[in-house]
Amino acid sequence: MIKEMAKDVANVKERCQEAYQKAVVLQEKLNDAITLVDPSEQLESLPEGGLFHGVPIALKDNVSTKGILTTAGSRILSNYVPVFDAEVVTKLKKEGAVIIAKASMDELAMGGTNLTCYTGPSLNPWDTKRMTGGSSGGSAALVASGVVPMAIGSDTGDSIRKPASFCGIVGVKPTYGRISRYGIIPYASSLDHVGFFTRSIEDACISLQALAGRDDRDMTSSYREVPDYLSLLDSDLTDKKIAIFGNVQDALTNETTKDLFTNLMKQLEKKGAKVDVFHFSEDLMKAMLPTYYLIANCEATSNHSNLDGIRFGVHEKGDSMEEIMTNSRTKGFGLLIRKRFVIGSYGLFEENQEKLFKKAQKVRRLIVDELNECLKEYDCLIAPASNDIAPLLNDTSRDELSDGYLIVENHMVIGNFSGYPSMTVPMGMMDGCPIGVNLTCRAFDEVTMFGIGKAIEDITGYKDLTAEVK
Amino acid sequence: MSEEMNKEYFKKLAKQLMFELSDEESEDIVKEFETLNKQLALLEKVNTDGVEPMVYPFEDETTFLREDEVTHVISQEDALANVKDKIEGHFILPKVVK
Amino acid sequence: MEYQATIGIEIHCELKTNTKMFSGAPCSFGRKANTCTNEIDLGQPGTMPCVNMEAVAKAIEACTALHLTIDPLVKFDRKNYYYSDLPKGFQITQQFHPIGRDGYIMIHTSEGEKKIRINRIHMEEDTAKQFHLTSKTLLDYNRAGTPLIEIVSEPDMKNGEEAQAYVEALRQTLLYLGVSDVKMEEGSMRCDVNISIAPKGSSTLGTKNEIKNINSISNVGKAIEYEIKRQADLLDRGEEIHQETRRYDDKTGETILMRRKEGTVDYKFFPEPNIVPIRLDEKWIQNIQANMNELPEEREKRYAETYGLSQHDIKILIGNKDMSEFFEEVMKSAKDAKNVCNWLLSDVSGWLNKHGETITTTKLQPQNLAKLIAMIDDGKISSKQAKEVVDDLMEGKDPEEVIKERVLNKSRMLDSLIP
Repeated sequence: MIKEMAKDVANVKERCQEAYQKAVVLQEKLNDAITLVDPSEQLESLPEGGLFHGVPIALKDNVSTKGILTTAGSRILSNYVPVFDAEVVTKLKKEGAVIIAKASMDELAMGGTNLTCYTGPSLNPWDTKRMTGGSSGGSAALVASGVVPMAIGSDTGDSIRKPASFCGIVGVKPTYGRISRYGIIPYASSLDHVGFFTRSIEDACISLQALAGRDDRDMTSSYREVPDYLSLLDSDLTDKKIAIFGNVQDALTNETTKDLFTNLMKQLEKKGAKVDVFHFSEDLMKAMLPTYYLIANCEATSNHSNLDGIRFGVHEKGDSMEEIMTNSRTKGFGLLIRKRFVIGSYGLFEENQEKLFKKAQKVRRLIVDELNECLKEYDCLIAPASNDIAPLLNDTSRDELSDGYLIVENHMVIGNFSGYPSMTVPMGMMDGCPIGVNLTCRAFDEVTMFGIGKAIEDITGYKDLTAEVK
Repeated sequence: MSEEMNKEYFKKLAKQLMFELSDEESEDIVKEFETLNKQLALLEKVNTDGVEPMVYPFEDETTFLREDEVTHVISQEDALANVKDKIEGHFILPKVVK
Repeated sequence: MEYQATIGIEIHCELKTNTKMFSGAPCSFGRKANTCTNEIDLGQPGTMPCVNMEAVAKAIEACTALHLTIDPLVKFDRKNYYYSDLPKGFQITQQFHPIGRDGYIMIHTSEGEKKIRINRIHMEEDTAKQFHLTSKTLLDYNRAGTPLIEIVSEPDMKNGEEAQAYVEALRQTLLYLGVSDVKMEEGSMRCDVNISIAPKGSSTLGTKNEIKNINSISNVGKAIEYEIKRQADLLDRGEEIHQETRRYDDKTGETILMRRKEGTVDYKFFPEPNIVPIRLDEKWIQNIQANMNELPEEREKRYAETYGLSQHDIKILIGNKDMSEFFEEVMKSAKDAKNVCNWLLSDVSGWLNKHGETITTTKLQPQNLAKLIAMIDDGKISSKQAKEVVDDLMEGKDPEEVIKERVLNKSRMLDSLIP
C-alpha cells in the first residue's frame, strides 16, 4: 500500500485531504486523535521522492512536533507546543510523509487501555463498546479504521503490540536503539521503544527502513546499518525454528484463542517450520509484571520531574516555587499517574533500592538470560498477544494476581526487558473483533521477524484488514 | 521500611514529589499497596544471588563522545514560547527563598 | 578549652568548553538571558543528553594534574530533587563512578609544605541562574548544562590558612591547565567548606557545618577562622552544635544560618539510563596528558633551573600566571633574570595597580623593559633616570627613543637659555 501510494505522485493532495477529512469524521465516533492537522501547509513544501511521498500518517501524541500541540495524553502538557521535531518526525518529513493527526494515548504512556487520556478514551473501530488497548490506542485506531496506512507508537511494556492485537493490525516494536528516541516524551528510558502500526508486513518493512538509523542525539541508538527490509522480505519457513511460549499457552482460558493459535502453529509447521514448546521458569514468569512495574515506575518518576509548570506546560498559580510546582503537578497529572509516581519514588529511596528497584533489575537480567537460552536454539518465540479480544470499556474484572493476568496479559514485556524486536500480527477474529499473535526474535533480526510475520499474513490472509466503523 | 505505610505516609511522599494526594486518594494507595506487596513477594521469590542489576537492555559500551562545537541554539523567543509571563527574556517565579 | 578543626572543601569548577556538558548549545557569560540554550538545556520533554568530548578531556587534565587515578569507563548517574534552577528535576552527575579518585595537591603555608588529599573529581552539569528581585525571581538558563567538575578534598585541613592555601593552589593549577577561568567572583569556581571542631586530641569528629557563598579566596580563610571561633564559643558555653548550612556574609565577616539539616536528603541516585558507559581510548587519554599546559610546579622547577631565581621570587611570579608569561617574554631579550623580576614585581606592578591595569591590558612592550634594564647595566643611564621614564615605558614607548628625546629637549632647553 505505502509503496504504491508513494509512487502515485498525482494524487498526493487528494489522498491527504481525504485522509484528513476521514479523520475528522471518525474523530466523533472514535475519539482517537488529540489534534487533527490540516495537511495543506505540509503539502505546499513536500520534498521530492521519498519512501513516504505524500503518504498521510499519524503520530502518537508523545512524539514532539515543532509548532504542533504535543500533550502525551496529559493535562499538564495540554498547552505545550514543542520548538523542535523528534528525530522520527524529521526522518518522516524527509521521506515525504504528511502528518494528519496526533493520536490519543494513555496519559504519559502509562497504561494499557487508552482510557486514561485527558481527552477521554479512544474507541475500538471494530466495536466502539470496546477499548483499543493502550497506550498507543489512538494510533492503532487510526490505522485500523483506514484513516492512515501507518502511525507511530511507542512500546514500553506492550503499548504497541497489545493495541495491535485488539485492532487487527501489524504492531512493530523494533530492537532497542534501532529507532532514535530523541524527542519522544519518555516513560521508562531503559524500556521505551519507538515503533509503529501498519496493515501489512510490507508496509512495516518500508516503515522501519524510513525510521531506523543512528542519531547522535540519542546515545543509546544503534550504529548498525539499516537493511532494505522490503527487498530482504522472505516468508520461506524452511529450517525456521519457532518456539511456542509454553507458559502463556498453558495459562490461556479462552478456547477460541487456544484453537486459533494451535491451528496457526500447525499451518506454520506445514510451511516447513519446526515448532516446539519452550517453558520459562514459573517463578520468573510470575515475576515479570512486578519487575516491569517497578523498573517502569521508578524511571518514569524521575523522567517526569521536569513537568513542573515553570518553563512549559500548564502553569497553576501559587505564592512560591513549591506551590506553583505542586499545584501544577496535582492538577496536571491524573490520579493513576500520581499513584505510579509514589510507587516509583518509593522504589528509588536509597534504603529501598536494593530490595525493590535493583532487585527488579536483577530479575530482569535473569528473564533476559532465559530468553537468550531460548533464542540460541530458536528463531523466534511466539504466543497469542492476549487471552481475549479487546475488553469492553467498562470491564473492571481483571484479577491482578491471577496467572491469566500476570502471564498471559503481560508476557510481551519480555521484548522490552531484552530490547529484542517483537511484533504482533492479526491471527483471527472472534465476535467480529480481531486478536493477534506476538513474535519476538533476536536483537536486530527484524528481517527474520518480518519473514515469519509475512508467512503468518499469507496463512491468515489478514492483509490490509480495515474496520468499518459503525 | 521504618515508617508505617499509612495514609499520612503516602501524603508526605507525594508532597516530596511536588504534588498532593487527597485523603481519599491516599487511602486508595494504601489499599493498592497490599496487592503490590503480594506482587512484590513474587519478585522476592526469585533468587538473585550474584546477579548484577541490568541497567540497559544492551550493555555494550560506546566510544562515542560529541565534538565540542556549537550545533544547536534556539532563539530567546523559542525558549520562552511556552510561558505566558516573562520579564526581559527571563522566566518568572515568585521570589525563591533558599 | 583547646580545639582542633577538621576541614574539607568541595569545589565546583566550570569547564571552559565551547558547548554544554550534554548539549550543543554554547557556554557563555554575561549574554542576554536565555539566548544560549536549546531544548535539552531547558529540560523539554523528550530531550536526551549527549556527552561533550572536550569536557571529558578537561576533566582528565584536572585529574592528571592533581594526581588522581582515572577511570577509563565514563558512567553517569541521576541526582533527583526539585528546585527552581534545575530544569530536568534531576542533575546528571557521577555519583558512583567519578572520573578520578585518590589524588593530592601540595600546599605551602607558614608551617611549611603539606599534602592535601583529594578524594574524587567527577563531572556534572550546572544549574540555571536565578536573579532575586524584591518579590520575584528571574530565571536564566544560559548557564544550565555548563560542564562542571566537582573536586572533593579529604578533610585534611586544620585551619583557615591551610584551607585558603588549598583553594589557591587548586585555582592556580586549574588556571595553568586552562580548563577553567576559575574566577570566584564570576562563579566559574565555587567553594563550599565543611568544618567541624572537637576537643584537642580527640579521636572523634564534631558536628559538621557547611559554609557556602564564599566569593573570594581571601574570604576562605576569614570565613573559616570566624566559624571555628563561633563553634568554639558555643562549645565553651556548653551549647550544642547542630548540623547546619551557613552562608558567609563578607560585609560583616560572619557566617549566618541558612537552614538546619534535618536528616539527610534522599537523592534517589540511580544510573542515567540514556547514557551507556563510555569507554575512553587509552591512547586518547595519554595524548591529552602529554599535551597538557605546563603546571605551576613544573614552571617552578623550570624557572629555578633556567633563571636561577630565588624560591621566594619564583613563587610570586608563578602566583600570577600572566605576569610569569610576560617575564618569559622579557627574558627573550634580557640577560639578568633577577633584575627583570625585580622590575616587574615592584615598579611595573606598582604602576599597574596605581592605574587600574593588569599585565594583560598593559601597553608595556616586553622588549622595551629588557632594553631599559640593559641600558642601566651598560651604564648608559642611571637607575634614577630609568625610574623617570617608567611612565613612558608603561605607555608602550621605546626607552632609547624616550631618553634621546629628553636629551634633545634638555639641550634645546639649555640652548634657549643661552643669551
